[in-house]
Amino acid sequence: MKSFPSKSWRRGAVAALVLAGSAGAFAQQKAEEEPFWAKGRPRTDTAMKMAPVPAFPIPTAADKLPVAKMKLPPGFKAEVWAGDVLDARGLRQGDKGTVFVSSLFVAGKIYAVTDQGGKRTVKTVAEKLFLPNGIEFHDGALYVATPKDITRYDNIEASLDNPPKPVMVYDKLPGEIPHGWKFIKLGPDGKLYVPIGAPCNICDPGEGFARIVRMNLDGSGVENVALGVRNTVGFDFDPKDGSLWFTNNGRDWLSEDLPNDTLNRVSQPGRQHFGFPYCHQGDFSDPEYGWGKNCNDYAKPALLIGPHAGALGMRFYTGKMFPDKYRGAIFVARHGPWNRTLKYAADIVVAWPDGKGGIAKMEPFMTGLVENNEYLGRPVDLLVLKDGSMLVSDDHNGAIYRISYGG
Amino acid sequence: MGLATRCAAAMAAALCAGTALAQEPQPYAERYARTCAPCHGGAGVSALPLTPSLAGQPAFYAITQLFLFREGRRDSAAMTAVAREMSNDDLRGYSEHIGKLPPPQTSPADADALRMERGAALTQRLHCTGCHGSDLAGGRQVPRLALQREDYLLHALRGFRAGSRVGYTPAMTEALAGVSPAELEDMAHYLARGPAAKAP
Repeated sequence: MKSFPSKSWRRGAVAALVLAGSAGAFAQQKAEEEPFWAKGRPRTDTAMKMAPVPAFPIPTAADKLPVAKMKLPPGFKAEVWAGDVLDARGLRQGDKGTVFVSSLFVAGKIYAVTDQGGKRTVKTVAEKLFLPNGIEFHDGALYVATPKDITRYDNIEASLDNPPKPVMVYDKLPGEIPHGWKFIKLGPDGKLYVPIGAPCNICDPGEGFARIVRMNLDGSGVENVALGVRNTVGFDFDPKDGSLWFTNNGRDWLSEDLPNDTLNRVSQPGRQHFGFPYCHQGDFSDPEYGWGKNCNDYAKPALLIGPHAGALGMRFYTGKMFPDKYRGAIFVARHGPWNRTLKYAADIVVAWPDGKGGIAKMEPFMTGLVENNEYLGRPVDLLVLKDGSMLVSDDHNGAIYRISYGG
Repeated sequence: MGLATRCAAAMAAALCAGTALAQEPQPYAERYARTCAPCHGGAGVSALPLTPSLAGQPAFYAITQLFLFREGRRDSAAMTAVAREMSNDDLRGYSEHIGKLPPPQTSPADADALRMERGAALTQRLHCTGCHGSDLAGGRQVPRLALQREDYLLHALRGFRAGSRVGYTPAMTEALAGVSPAELEDMAHYLARGPAAKAP
């Protein structure tokens, strides 16, 4: 296994200046490597110009947010729910109604948005965190997952202005930056589900990576839920049978049009391998790692959801506001590709489970945020509020939108 | 008044002006001329030691750096003091103006052929062009390196190498891990005179 970047992150960011005298033997080897996201990139001029673009460091002004550009099915309406939320990523709601918002590279913060009769206040409840993308709320506590650890802020809604010191839940995550940022969620079994993504674009990462695990709320009893999962930044549990469904980002640079990101269902927790790095999208063996492997030996995706689409947050619709046909359907936020010439997605799609572990059909739900091959916004996560309306985070604009029906 | 004195005076004025700086309605070209030009040069080509040229830097890179200075996440007390007074609109305004400044056209005449060769080889070996572009002109969040001031390049490279300058991620620290001090000097020598110097 290769030496991966976060080792120097930890030295660089945590031990700050110590690195100067101690960039050891691993460093000599690293200097010859490309950044992880560039591995496998073709040497063509077009591909060489593509790189991940961070969120813009300034939230878009409220009157410039692209709500008027959003296209929705008849009867639905989009509005700005909260602006000025730099790098808005994950969404969770507390028992008392607070909406917690995570962020990633640019902000490194956790926000709390409170609603007083339609007037919303955005507070920063934690900052200077290491890629704190993963959040969950349970039993009064906010759980925050970074690539390194999971911490808990107890009884946080009672003290948003003076948040409690976090309690360590689990500090044995690998800490790698590539696909190390988290999406976490509490399962119907009362356990915390945590992905550990592949620390690379494409590599054989060995045991410990490219999987989803679950653990008790005190960090004990870690066990595998799914293997061969390259990078999931969104999952949810089927309200009908409790099974775990997850989005998975396919590898980069294979082709403009392959492989697809996928939506998957775990039918046998701990016993299924979803293919990475050997087989992509259930039917396409990797040009390098796929030799000697057979795609039929791996779990098949329930749905192909677009090449490099950046399928992130997903949620079963459990509310009552939307028309009946959406009840039990899966909404998926697609961030939109960075490594594809033709930009697309940056939307929300909706998919209906067929009741047999697959997906019967997929439809666009919210579109309109790609113009002149540029993104006007990039959806990340979804949250169904108690009134049945849906919040959508947009890290590109630093904003949260609300989609409602019939009112 | 010498250049360094003008820069120092402008810094002092900016600091004393406090929030007034953020509320002036003038176009950002004028505000750039007063706030930035004394140190970074009217056309964004710096003549001041250890002070980078801003000319030709992408607006996205400029706003990201102003943001990091304002948040205290990039190590420069002087720039943090200036950026702290800037509103979000100011960050946009200044960076958009910087993004329009034409790139520097001239480079120091004292190119050392051997060092140029070593520097060019290093930029290949370290995959610099993979992000900064084959012409090292940068783009979006990635800075232009070609024809930047040599002393500033060396200062920046040393900061990344030491891990004392970190952006959103330690990508540059990783890229420079294991690179020797002499190699950093060769790279700075080359980049300051870089490939754009040969373009017609």
